[in-house]
Amino acid sequence: MLKITNLVKKYGKFTAVDNLCMEISEGQIFGFVGANGAGKTTTMKIVAGLLQPTSGEVLVDGIDISVKPRAVKRKIGYMPDFFGVYDDLKVDEYMDFYAGIYGIPYRERKAITDELLELVDLSHKRDFYVDSLSRGMKQRLCLARSLIHNPSLLILDEPASGLDPRARIEMKCILKELRNMKKTILISSHILSELSEMCTSIGIINQGKMVACGTVEEIIDKLSHTSRIKIKVRDRMEEAIRLLQEQPSIGRIDINGSAIEASFKGDELVLSEILKRLVMQGIPVVSFTDTGEGLESVFMHLTEGSEEYDA
Amino acid sequence: MMLNPILEKDLKTKMRGWRTPVLLSIYLLFLGGVLFLFFLANNQLLNYYNYNSSAFNPRIAVNAYNVIAIFQFVLLMLIVPAITATAISGERERQTLDLMLCSDISTWSIIIGKLIVSIAHIMLLVVASLPIMGTVFLFGGITFGEVMLMFLFYVITALMVASLGIFLSTLFRKNVTAIIATYICLGILALGPVIAFFIWGVFIERNYNIEITYSIITAFLFPSPGFGFASFFAGTQSSIFGSIFYEIQNLAEKETSFLRYLKPWMINGLFNIVFSGILISLSAWKLKPVKKIKRRKR
Repeated sequence: MLKITNLVKKYGKFTAVDNLCMEISEGQIFGFVGANGAGKTTTMKIVAGLLQPTSGEVLVDGIDISVKPRAVKRKIGYMPDFFGVYDDLKVDEYMDFYAGIYGIPYRERKAITDELLELVDLSHKRDFYVDSLSRGMKQRLCLARSLIHNPSLLILDEPASGLDPRARIEMKCILKELRNMKKTILISSHILSELSEMCTSIGIINQGKMVACGTVEEIIDKLSHTSRIKIKVRDRMEEAIRLLQEQPSIGRIDINGSAIEASFKGDELVLSEILKRLVMQGIPVVSFTDTGEGLESVFMHLTEGSEEYDA
Repeated sequence: MMLNPILEKDLKTKMRGWRTPVLLSIYLLFLGGVLFLFFLANNQLLNYYNYNSSAFNPRIAVNAYNVIAIFQFVLLMLIVPAITATAISGERERQTLDLMLCSDISTWSIIIGKLIVSIAHIMLLVVASLPIMGTVFLFGGITFGEVMLMFLFYVITALMVASLGIFLSTLFRKNVTAIIATYICLGILALGPVIAFFIWGVFIERNYNIEITYSIITAFLFPSPGFGFASFFAGTQSSIFGSIFYEIQNLAEKETSFLRYLKPWMINGLFNIVFSGILISLSAWKLKPVKKIKRRKR
C-alpha cells in the first residue's frame, strides 16, 4: 500500500529526513515512533502530498506521489498534528464543505456525514458550531473529515496529543474500529507504549533515520531484552570499541566521557564472555557495569544520538 | 452541477456574519454622506427648499456624480486589498490550508473560489451603491449607459486588485504582511507610471524636444488604474483632473495609429484582465505543495 524508498528532505543544510525506507502493506497499522523533531511529521507531510521531497520515491498503491499527486491524494486521508477549524461553520456544514472539496455529489453527502459522525460519536453535535466543541471532539471531527472520501490509507499525525485520558481512550476505540474496517493506517506518536497496543508494526525514527523497524513483537522483544552496559577503560578506548563492535550481542555504542555505553542483548554468560575478551586483549578495564535500565530508557537511548541501531 | 465548494462555504459564512452588513452599511452611509455634503456645499439643497433659486443647475448633479464615483473608486482601492490579501494567508494562519491542499481539489479551484468570493463581495458594495449613484438621474446630465460603463470598469479593476491581493497572500505567511504588501504594490502600480512619466517629461522631453503623443502617454500610464478611471472625466474641465484628461482626449483624436480607437479605460481594462490572468496562474502554481515531475522509465 505504501512504499517509501530512500526518502530525503533537506531544509538548507539541515536534513530532516535522511534516506528513509519503509513499507506498509494493506490492512496494516504502522506506528511511527520518535522523539519530537525526529522527522515523523515531515515524512507524513511528504506522503500526504504537502511537502516536496528533496529526493527519493513515495509510492501509494503503486502510484508515485511526485508524478501523480492528485491521484495519490484521493487515496489518502490525512489528519495533521496541529490543525484549525472554521469557527463559523456548524459540524454538519464542516463535513459538507470537505465533502465538496473531495467532489462528493450533494445527494450522497448527508448519508456519508451521518455515518462518519456516528463513527466518531458526534451525531448529537451536528448542529453545533465547530468552535463550541472541546479539543477531543475537534480531534474526532478532524478524523471524520479525513475519512469523508473513504481513503484506503490513513495518515494520522499524533491523533491523541493534547487529549485528556478519557479523550485518549475514546480516540483509541475509534482507531480500533478503523482497524476492523481494514483501513491501512500510518500513525505517529512519541510515546511507544501508546502505539504498541493497536499497531501491527512499528518503526522508530531518530534524526530522520529509521533506527528500528518490525512487528510490534519484534520491537518489544528487541527492547525488552536489551540493556545498557557501561565500561570504563584507562586507555585504548578505540581498540575496546572495535572489539565491542565485533560482538553480535552489542548494539549501539555511545561514548560518554571516559566511559563507553552500549546497548546489549543477552544473558549474564554472554556478558562475562565480553568482559573476558576485553581483558584478554589487554584492554585496561576499570569498571564493567550493567546499568539495568528499563524499556523506556532503552527506547530513549535508541532515539538519542546519531548512530544507527543495528540489533 | 456542483458549485465551487470554497465559494459556497465562504459566501455562506461571510454573508451570515456581522462584518458584511456592517461594512455595507458604513460604505453606503459614507457615500450617501458625501453626496449629501456635496449638495449642501453647493447650496443646492437650501436653495431647493427655500425656493430661492428658480432653476436647478444640472452641472451640479454631474459634478456630484463625479465626486461619488471618485470616492467609490478610492474606497474600493482601500477595501479590496483588505478583503483579498487574507484569502490564502488567512487559511494558513488558521491552519486550515493544509487540510485543503491534502485533498484532490486543484489549486486553481481554490484560487478561483477565493477570487469569485472577493469579487462578489465587491459587487455587492457596488450594486448596493447604485441607488445612490442613481440619485443624479433625478436631475439629468448622466445616462444609464455611462453608469453601467463605470460599473464595468469598477469590476475589472476590482478583479485586478483582488488577483494582486490573492497572489501576495500566497507569497506571505501572515495576513498583516500580505495586506501591507498589497497596498504598497497597488500604490506602485497607480503612482509609479505617473511618476515615471513626469520624470521622463522633465529630463527627456524638455532636453530633446520630443512632442508628447497619445501613444507615449499610453506607453507610460497604461498600468495605472487612475489613468483608466480618469478617462471617464475627460469632459469635466472644471477640475484639474478633468482638464488633464481633456488634453489627453485631444491628443487621442490627433493620434494616427490604432490607439486612437482605444480610450484610456479600455487600455487599462485590457491590462487589468491580462495582469489578473498572470497573477491567478502564478498564485495557483505557487500554492501547489508538490510540483509534478516526470520520472524516466526504468
